[in-house]
Amino acid sequence: MKAAPFDYVAPDSIEAAVDHLARGGGESVVLAGGQTLMPLLALRMATPSVVVDINRIAELSGVSRLDGATRVGATTRQATILTDPTIAAHAPTLAQAVRNVGHHQTRNRGTVGGSVSLGEPAAELPATALALEAMIETRSPRGTRRIAAGDFYTGPYSTVLEPDELVVALHYPDLPANTLTLVHEVARRPGDFALTGFIGAFTVDGGAISRARISWLAMGPTPMRSPKAEAALVGQRVGQIDLDEIGRLAASETDPMDDGHASADYRRTAGARIFRRAVGQALETR
Amino acid sequence: MNEMTQAARFVGQRVPRKEDRRLLTGNGAYTDDITVPGMLHAAFVRSYIARGTIKSINTDAAKALPGVHAVYVADDLRTLDIKFLQLYSSPTAPAPAMWPLADGRIAHVGEPVVIVLADSRALAEDGAALVEVDYESEEPVVTLEQARALTKAIHPDLGVKPADTMIVPSDDAMAETFAKAAHVVTGTIRHQRQAHSPMETRGVVAQPKGTGELTVWVSCQSPHMAARYLSEAFNLPAHSIRVIAKDVGGAFGLKVQLWREEVAAVAAALIANRPVKWIEDRLENLTSANQAREQEVTVKLALDADAKLLAADLEYHSNIGAFPHGIGANALGMMMFPGPYRLPRLSVNANAYFSNTCGEAAFRGPWMVESLARETMLDVAARQIGIDPLEIRRRNLITREEQPFTTCMGTVLNWVTPRETLELAVEKIDVAAFRAEQAKARTEGRYLGLGFATYVEPTTMNMGGVLSSEWAQVQVEPTGKVTAVISTHSQGHGTETTMAQVIADELGVPFNDVSVFEDDSSRGSFGAGAGGSRQAVAGGGAAIHAIAILKAKIKAIAAHLLNASADAVEIESGMIRVKGVEEMTTSLASLAATAYFETPRLPPGMEAGLTAQYRYSPPPFVFSNATHACVCEVDRDTGVVKILRWVASEDCGVMINPSVVEGQIAGGVTQGVGGVLMEQIRYDADGNPTAATFKDYLVPGIFDMPEIEYCHMITPADNPGGFKGIGEGGAIIGPPTIINAVADALSPFGVRTLDLPLSPPRLLALMDGAEAK
Amino acid sequence: MSDHKIRLTVDGGPVSKTVEARQTLGEFLRDGCGRTGVHLGCEHGVCGACTVIVDGKAVRSCLMLAVQADGTEVTTAQGLAAPDGTLSPVQQAMMDEHALQCGFCTPGVVMTMTALTAGGARPTEAEIKAAMSGHLCRCTGYQGIMRAARKLAGVNA
Repeated sequence: MKAAPFDYVAPDSIEAAVDHLARGGGESVVLAGGQTLMPLLALRMATPSVVVDINRIAELSGVSRLDGATRVGATTRQATILTDPTIAAHAPTLAQAVRNVGHHQTRNRGTVGGSVSLGEPAAELPATALALEAMIETRSPRGTRRIAAGDFYTGPYSTVLEPDELVVALHYPDLPANTLTLVHEVARRPGDFALTGFIGAFTVDGGAISRARISWLAMGPTPMRSPKAEAALVGQRVGQIDLDEIGRLAASETDPMDDGHASADYRRTAGARIFRRAVGQALETR
Repeated sequence: MNEMTQAARFVGQRVPRKEDRRLLTGNGAYTDDITVPGMLHAAFVRSYIARGTIKSINTDAAKALPGVHAVYVADDLRTLDIKFLQLYSSPTAPAPAMWPLADGRIAHVGEPVVIVLADSRALAEDGAALVEVDYESEEPVVTLEQARALTKAIHPDLGVKPADTMIVPSDDAMAETFAKAAHVVTGTIRHQRQAHSPMETRGVVAQPKGTGELTVWVSCQSPHMAARYLSEAFNLPAHSIRVIAKDVGGAFGLKVQLWREEVAAVAAALIANRPVKWIEDRLENLTSANQAREQEVTVKLALDADAKLLAADLEYHSNIGAFPHGIGANALGMMMFPGPYRLPRLSVNANAYFSNTCGEAAFRGPWMVESLARETMLDVAARQIGIDPLEIRRRNLITREEQPFTTCMGTVLNWVTPRETLELAVEKIDVAAFRAEQAKARTEGRYLGLGFATYVEPTTMNMGGVLSSEWAQVQVEPTGKVTAVISTHSQGHGTETTMAQVIADELGVPFNDVSVFEDDSSRGSFGAGAGGSRQAVAGGGAAIHAIAILKAKIKAIAAHLLNASADAVEIESGMIRVKGVEEMTTSLASLAATAYFETPRLPPGMEAGLTAQYRYSPPPFVFSNATHACVCEVDRDTGVVKILRWVASEDCGVMINPSVVEGQIAGGVTQGVGGVLMEQIRYDADGNPTAATFKDYLVPGIFDMPEIEYCHMITPADNPGGFKGIGEGGAIIGPPTIINAVADALSPFGVRTLDLPLSPPRLLALMDGAEAK
Repeated sequence: MSDHKIRLTVDGGPVSKTVEARQTLGEFLRDGCGRTGVHLGCEHGVCGACTVIVDGKAVRSCLMLAVQADGTEVTTAQGLAAPDGTLSPVQQAMMDEHALQCGFCTPGVVMTMTALTAGGARPTEAEIKAAMSGHLCRCTGYQGIMRAARKLAGVNA
């Protein structure tokens, strides 16, 4: 299990990295934390001609505040998210999600940008980006653009990124006050890809839900939102919500698939039930 | 360590392991750690079709790649006369023709077709990627159901029939027993395919010597067995082959014998006349190494009105893949079905079938289907009859008073304590308290379960052939230190430690003075090593016998030198004393120096030196036994099983090292739990394995097991030392224990949990398909 | 296929070598630095046997390229015991608690525990156990590893 030969470059600026990608003409891959790319290389499921290592680009790493949002540089390690005070103050949901990402050892290398841009449908960070309505800041020879997480994913491991386009940061907008966030999933072992799971953000005003965001992992070709369930929740009074019904509605808006680990039916059924249970408990104990 | 040096007895103590220091400091010597000058690295081109023929192979591009030294296909190995051996197969079952590389026909995905030798493994894989193989594909036989249909031959030379069959016929009397029985209980248990998944994969380094000799480092369960295998496979004199296996990273039956890849790598080394290393990668291990446990058994039990067993009938079917290590219909599994119970009659129809999948290998307790089937069906029976699963066991388990007890299959059980271990486990669990907790939990919609399972483990397994004997040589060196060479072999068992404990006690020397060697076939004599839970009994027994000879010699020398009676001589903590004459005390070291270097002082005619050896033929079976109990919770919303408690109540006779005993139990249980809850080798309809990485083949992690609670009973058997084997039991009894716990949790739903694995989707579907009562 | 000159510190000693781009850190430590205690159990980042400490953090050495370790400080299980052979507290706890059998996963387990307890850090038992979910052990059922975790929790390494 050895990677096919490739060239390696480690540019020290975003411009240089983008230039390498542009010259690679689609034969280059970006190496961020490597926790997914490295196995793909070892299995020869990825056989790029050039690996562009972005870990030496200082400006890609770090957490900051910008325009009412928390900006997380693409190569910020997942482990950093767990201890960063800015994250704890402004985007704690991200830390909640990161706790379920891989293991201690992989979080020490794995990056936020790497996971978000890869688009594994069962991964936590793409679904979190969706639930938090993050903006994905990218750079290419054509300049900078910001892509809404909801517009970013096109299929399993497939995004709107161009071959010469690099994710440079994630912008997580501040949530409204009184917003309760939840990260729940069913995984066989801690760190495994989920069989089903969701990230929820529910704003409660005067005893009623005023805003709801629900996004699912492992429930479709991409992370998926449940817009009907979100709409159905708004206006409902806490304590009087039929969470059975909402859970089923939310799960029905997904498009899960069968694989060796679970059937689509299972994912929908168990997904709806953990939604009911987790949201119920969270709203009760709020 | 000092405490250990001083202690009077080492057997029975939790002595820290001699192996641990090198392993903890990264200084172990596993096969991949071996580097030999001029060594080439091998990679295989493997078939991506499951069944068909090879039309052509083009190796030109691979051969032209810089760094690639040789590319061999099946025909390139013809200069050698290579035979494959079935070390444990049924004598009646014919084996398919085998060759290291696919020879025209393809019988499963992953079959090695071409071997590439290059300067590095990466280059060898580059070369392998350039080989073009043109196949003519045929529809494969993949599942057990397809294999049972016997529609086409997997091996044309063997025709269309089961690979092996074992029948124990029924008769009119038995039919009448079933017809008249107060209760007849039937059920079918299905076990999915499992992969051994040792953390160290298979691997070999073969170094041909210009002298016609061959040194082979190989990850194996016995260097002697590996050497014998190679000697017979290549028709080379045994003395010309030296096999070394210092540290082995787990084996569990997979490494009992060398198979196609190891043999191919040795063949390639001989032909290229260069050292060759092949280290199996995890992808290869999960898709090409032999696998285990794909079997189903339909059990029919007849019980009287008191729930006493009257008869059982088994119909067994097993998918043993294309090239199993041993071809058999699990005769031992059938023979052991009565377990520790009074079962008057048993009939069996057992069949094994070839298929276009990886071959079967023995896997820790290869006969475990007996406990799996019996213990799960006893719970089904108890539920059907309306009595407690504990009660059905109490009514049918044999007692001490009935022993020796001959089962209806002719197995003689003695010195076993199934009833006693059951009651110990019951007490440990506090069943009444659990039932109260369970009832309360159910009112909250939570489903807790408690399962028990009881078994006897046939250990030592002197079933003739290579398992007939083990060998030990114990030697007091001129320094007074003791070295032993034993035909045991550790793949994690810790035999360097446990054998040293036995030797230290028997000989009367400090534990730290004893060194045990078992890693080199050129050092010592043949023995089958690990396999059949035999090392304590067979290896320990050989050592005890050898020491008896050695002690007699030491006493004779001491008596002669000290002018005392041999009967009065005692050896203790490396000192030699004459009873009642303290001033005559001398050290073993000084006596040894005399034995080696002052030979005229020895008794007339006595052989110089202090070495003794013994080849011990152990009893056919030494039975250990246990009852395990498990408390689990099944999540009603997700079907996920959480194990809350595990009690292992066991009797393996005299424990040499309780930590090692508990370690063997825990490891086995965890593999068994993995087999029930998580692990599943899957193939798609085309015969492609779909759990090819550790992302998809799920072995238990640290959160999948609680800390095990142990109850130990010590009932020695009559073999030297009173030891009994314990290596496989956890993997045998773990599965029915957890299955029974899940079944108990789900009892309000009235469902059976006999189709494995008990994955979350399966359990959720079972609960959703029924309404809780 | 590019080659790269790298300089790093391995178990306290300087190393300067040329590596092929595709070589993983794990392969480099084994083949280039004699650190055969770094075990490659799966080469796809699941089993944890190859775990080493890079700049103070436990990482999987199969998921890092050797060239990426340029300028770093790497510690392996071969660099923990004192020169006189005294085992590190983690190694000693593992030995005392019978936390290993075949020993193949062991160096990785040791390195994670070492990283967690380095510099006087006092992780909780739960934190150590959570980090242990990144290691697969096929022999022990994790029993001794759990006991070692308990012993190390609150103990300065």
